[in-house]
Amino acid sequence: MDTAFLIESAIKVHIVLGFVLLVVPYIVWMERKVLGHMQDRIGPERVGPFGLLQTIADGIKLFMKEDLVPAQADKVVFIIAPGITVVTALIAATVIPWGDTVELFGRTVALHVADVNVALLFVLATTSMGVYGIVLGGWASNSKYSLLGGLRSSAQMISYELAQGISLVSVVLLAGTLSLAEIGRQQAHLWYVVPQFFGFLIYVISGVAETNRAPFDLPEAETELVAGFHTEYSSMKWAFYFLGEYANMMVVAGVAITVFLGGWQGPVLPPVVWFLVKLTAFLFFFIWLRATFPRLRYDQLMAFGWKVLLPAAILNLVVTAVVVALW
Amino acid sequence: MLIPAFLFAMFAGIAIGCSLGVIFHRNPVHCALLLVGVLLSVSGLFILLNASFLAALQVLVYAGAIMVLFLFVLMLLNLKGENPLLTRGAAKGFGILFAIVVFVELLWTVLSPQMEGGMAASPTVPTGFGSPAAIGRVLYTVWLYPFEITSILLLIAVIGAVVLAKRKFG
Amino acid sequence: MTPAPTVPLVCYQVLAAILFTIGVVGVLVRRSALIIFMSIELMLNAVNLSFVAFSRQHASMDGHIFVFFVMAVAAAEVAVGLAILVAIFRNRDTANVDDVRLLRG
Repeated sequence: MDTAFLIESAIKVHIVLGFVLLVVPYIVWMERKVLGHMQDRIGPERVGPFGLLQTIADGIKLFMKEDLVPAQADKVVFIIAPGITVVTALIAATVIPWGDTVELFGRTVALHVADVNVALLFVLATTSMGVYGIVLGGWASNSKYSLLGGLRSSAQMISYELAQGISLVSVVLLAGTLSLAEIGRQQAHLWYVVPQFFGFLIYVISGVAETNRAPFDLPEAETELVAGFHTEYSSMKWAFYFLGEYANMMVVAGVAITVFLGGWQGPVLPPVVWFLVKLTAFLFFFIWLRATFPRLRYDQLMAFGWKVLLPAAILNLVVTAVVVALW
Repeated sequence: MLIPAFLFAMFAGIAIGCSLGVIFHRNPVHCALLLVGVLLSVSGLFILLNASFLAALQVLVYAGAIMVLFLFVLMLLNLKGENPLLTRGAAKGFGILFAIVVFVELLWTVLSPQMEGGMAASPTVPTGFGSPAAIGRVLYTVWLYPFEITSILLLIAVIGAVVLAKRKFG
Repeated sequence: MTPAPTVPLVCYQVLAAILFTIGVVGVLVRRSALIIFMSIELMLNAVNLSFVAFSRQHASMDGHIFVFFVMAVAAAEVAVGLAILVAIFRNRDTANVDDVRLLRG
């Protein structure tokens, strides 16, 4: 616990925090532009070159909006709920490695904020805490639409957590470790997406459902249930939910990249650049899904999670276990 | 020495404060959230005791699933705080007396000389203590039968919960 | 070798005793069935903490295994108990344990 370690950790925390908070507006910009072009229109282009300052303008507008707290709402829980979503996403982002070790000022610095030897379990645990942000936001708003949307959304999230966890366990069987940095290092020669292709598919689908993104975004889409659990939220609290959703997307993408797509490994460019390239590609994939697929109805969504995805994940795990045991 | 002691004091304080809140708050949703606070601080204490796998499991299973189930039931039933808060009269007095007796008994056992000697010396443990590998090594060999029986128990619980909460048709 | 814990393990046992007692008070004094459930969970957590502290003292994984089983059984118990509670609430529209006393003489 020497001071050099504390300073190093503080700097890494600032880097991760700054990255997530500053890049989310640009993910929003990318989403609007990409959706626009996929829908044969242009997207934002007036504010700044290529509309780059659009999200900042929206942020300023949101900041100036009236901050409503509904009457009879549970004030403390109402205010804390968006914070829980963001905080759990940021905590999960601390164990995702964005590169291998670097040599700086005579110290070997590992490029992830926290070196946890049960990192994968830690990420699953903190994302399961993210359910609270939604269920409490839905309940604390003291409104029927919010409560229904919140309960639906959180039931969806905990249902898809199972398939997500089991698909990751299949990789753990192959890797022999729960540490994300170690799993990343082991993929120097072969990415785990090759032996675990179905596991990867299951993880991506359940990851999309976990973050409440289209096509699984019935509980929070504007055309259904008003706006679900964030109906009564305005101004910065709503912006926080939005921020939390995109931060969660980045966490899911980060875990998928580290566990299945080789982490920071790549031929020519430095590791951090490869990580960012893969992250951008994954986020583009999320946005592409939104532009392409129609929304699933809620009962279809739940049936898919429990009757299709979970048995598929378990089958994947059993086959992997048999193969690992025999060879 | 300083940082682990500070962390222990912080987690212990949060655990005790939140648990007092659980039993004395009126609004049941606030009680549930304070119980989540207790679970998270106990998870922190597990990490201080080198039980990293159990700490993650505590958050994942207890705080992340069981308490969400509690909250679901609370919200579906729309329970408000009961009025008056505590049991009336003699039962309350007897309850607190009994709790004090239990507490004194526990302290007596924990602080007795035979225990004290063993616990003052804190032994070192091998690396990998409390890791998933260490638990797996013991769970699937020595404790195999309880493990299998527990999985059947969980299946029974799932079936029981579905049957009990089903509405009758027609 | 991982370093010794610098907080003496008896502190963890005393903390577990305190949490257990608070749970006992909660079960005996509150009247809402859900809060009684939560107090039972509090007691189970105190016991888990005690198990892990003892396991650390004897450098044995058996304590951890016990905690693992306690968590699994607690999950099963909560699921079934809440289902029973929901069934009772549907019938009587109350979650107060003082009102569910038909078997009493």
